Amino acid sequence: MRRDEQRAILIEAATTAWRPQSPSGELRPHPAWSDLDSAGRLEVYEATRVARRMEAASDPEGLSSTARAVLARLRAGR
Amino acid sequence: MTVEQVRLPDLDEHLPRILEGEVEAFGSWMAGAEPRLRDSLRSFAILVDVEGVVQETALRIWQTAPRFVADGRENGLLRLAIRVARNLAVSELRRYRVEPMEIDALEREARAYDPTASGVLRVPDPLLARRIKDCLERLPRQPGRAIAARVGSGGMEPDEALAEGLGMRKNTFLQNVTRARKLVADCLARHGVDLAVELS
Repeated sequence: MRRDEQRAILIEAATTAWRPQSPSGELRPHPAWSDLDSAGRLEVYEATRVARRMEAASDPEGLSSTARAVLARLRAGR
Repeated sequence: MTVEQVRLPDLDEHLPRILEGEVEAFGSWMAGAEPRLRDSLRSFAILVDVEGVVQETALRIWQTAPRFVADGRENGLLRLAIRVARNLAVSELRRYRVEPMEIDALEREARAYDPTASGVLRVPDPLLARRIKDCLERLPRQPGRAIAARVGSGGMEPDEALAEGLGMRKNTFLQNVTRARKLVADCLARHGVDLAVELS
């Protein structure tokens, strides 16, 4: 796989709202985000920003996947 | 113009129901607060995983809301959330042993963010929502399945599990999500919607 393809895959992987949890339950950085350089991390930030607003815009309750992840954790007792 | 600009509403209107433990009310608060919270963390984006900080902040705000004391100004809970988010980001920087001077500079930049400075909040209109849905429905099968699974999981499943559920390899799944985003953006552009501008 070419380097730019690998980088694009890392950026896409890090735009998900899923995050791993530490043993104490705290959310930790996405492994793909940790593997990116500064420019890649900024791309993740901007791509996520647009993606979440698009998700919220098309959601009947105006919720993004970030909001849905938080609400699911609250309903599950964190 | 596909989005309407309105004055930032007072999200504290959801507080009474949040204090009664209504998760749905907290969702309504989050729908308005999340974009501002994310924007407030921009200066940290190179060194801190902002998505995790936004979610962790929201979880902590839910826990601390019962002790929240309003100061008489609008959007008190949002202003508290922005402070909590900033502190969490700074804690992460300290954990990564970032130079104190660099932390100070990033924190100063973040402090300059004022969620009410512009006085407007962009809210999507029904036409935009319909256009996005139309564009999603027109996606080729595999990109359509991939992005539907990603959004539908609501951030509760890792991509490995989503890819497996669709019978795709993880990298193929991610390439399909990227392709879906690009095709939706192109489709919206053909309808005169520039996502980067309209949703920024």
